[in-house]
Amino acid sequence: MAEEDLNHIRLLLIDDEDNFRQTLFKRLGKRGLQVRQADSGEGGLALLKAEPADVVVLDVKMPGLDGIEALRWIKAQWPQTEVIFLTGHSTTQDGVEGIKSGAFDYLSKPIEFEHLLEKIKHAYQKKTRDEERRQEAAYKARIEQQMIATERLASMGTLAAGVAHEINNPLAIINEAAGYLSLLLKKEELAAMPRRQDFEKAIEKISSAVKRARVITHQLLGSVRKQEPVFAEVDLYELAAETLQLVHKEAANKEIRIYQSQGGNPAPIWIDPNQVRQILINLVTNAIHATGKEGKIEVRIEADPESSTLIVSDTGKGIPKENMEKIFEPFFSDKPPGEGTGLGLFVTRQIVDKLGGTIEVQSRVGVGTSMKVILPNRNPLKST
Amino acid sequence: MIKVPTRILIVDDEHDFVEMLSMRLKEAGEVIEAAYDGEGCIQKLRQEGFDVVILDIKMPGMDGIQTLRKIKIMFPLVEVILLTGHGTTETAVEGMKLGAFDYLLKPADFEDLETKLEGARRKKSEQEERIRQAEARLLLRKGGNI
Repeated sequence: MAEEDLNHIRLLLIDDEDNFRQTLFKRLGKRGLQVRQADSGEGGLALLKAEPADVVVLDVKMPGLDGIEALRWIKAQWPQTEVIFLTGHSTTQDGVEGIKSGAFDYLSKPIEFEHLLEKIKHAYQKKTRDEERRQEAAYKARIEQQMIATERLASMGTLAAGVAHEINNPLAIINEAAGYLSLLLKKEELAAMPRRQDFEKAIEKISSAVKRARVITHQLLGSVRKQEPVFAEVDLYELAAETLQLVHKEAANKEIRIYQSQGGNPAPIWIDPNQVRQILINLVTNAIHATGKEGKIEVRIEADPESSTLIVSDTGKGIPKENMEKIFEPFFSDKPPGEGTGLGLFVTRQIVDKLGGTIEVQSRVGVGTSMKVILPNRNPLKST
Repeated sequence: MIKVPTRILIVDDEHDFVEMLSMRLKEAGEVIEAAYDGEGCIQKLRQEGFDVVILDIKMPGMDGIQTLRKIKIMFPLVEVILLTGHGTTETAVEGMKLGAFDYLLKPADFEDLETKLEGARRKKSEQEERIRQAEARLLLRKGGNI
């Protein structure tokens, strides 16, 4: 460890012997360490509470809270902080006790300054290494979890698309057969057919069920369709305004007001406008469905140099905690049968992934939901 | 108004689908023939004239796109509407670049189908009309030269 790195070390010195402590404080400070000091265990803990330290040099024998006690407190609250024990002359017993309680090491008084500095450096290095290991492990766990989720969604999507494809053919047959029957019923020769209305009603049901199934299969196929993205310079605010026209009527029917706003430094970004439009339609439609009469929906664009954020918030019923994990899965829907396919957010998320963006949800039951889509301003042209 | 029937050839390996769509379109007043693969389609086109071919993209053997290419070489005036049962709209769009009139996703909405059939037929008859007029002009000019 290079000498100049010493000034990264935040050190706390706890010892009740004033002369000894002051001397150490000055010498350590001269070597560049960020040193604080306390004359008691209690005082030391208070300082740690104000700002944590990397390494604590701790005297064992103190009135009040003694070294071992203080050590236990420190380790309980700041497990990452390394503690070096200072014990009285030839009382190794205290030192061993300290190590057992989680201290990094111990030194017996009288101590040699360079020796103590060496120990502090080692303790700091251990702390840094541990930190890196922890971050690496957390990062790995996060990536693994993401990969599992992505793979699961991808394989579900592929399977669902395969099923949708296979179902489309028989669906087409049912569709034509029902259509044929309804044409026949309109013929003059069948005008006097008994129970004609019953037939018409049943055929109508078949046709509308086919339509419903078709919406599902087409959406599913759409989710895996390898559509060539068409990139263009897009003003997100304008695109949003234009898109809101498409859902305007549905919102007006429920007397829902839609507001639009923007923040940051909005500038045109390079992206596929069709896909962004699809995202917006899906999110706003969901918001309209979730929001009661006279509710409010806000569509907000926030731009910074690297990325642009679309936020769709509503004053709707919110998403219960137990559903948060499931809302992006295909076929998950809390809408009544026939009204939601459970594919809107699934498709939305796939589009967002394709665009190299991320999607976040914040929701409180009874208060509302906010969906946040963060898109990079320069698209990485991901192939799928 | 008396409806002039459109002569339609339906090509799909799903027999039940072909049968039901045929019956429905016949009932709607069109003239229908069916084929169940690409070879059968070409054969039928050789035998008699059609206005529009409704062609499934995914078929065993010669698929819809290959059949389309062949139709456009051998019978360039016949209009083709592609049918796709799966997510390959790219293929359908590619088909349109090769000369197909339009495409439909299965199961197709009957009104959509009727609109597209009507459009395809109109396009074909307009083209034929232009050819007739051009031929007439040709005859006139020749006549004038004599």
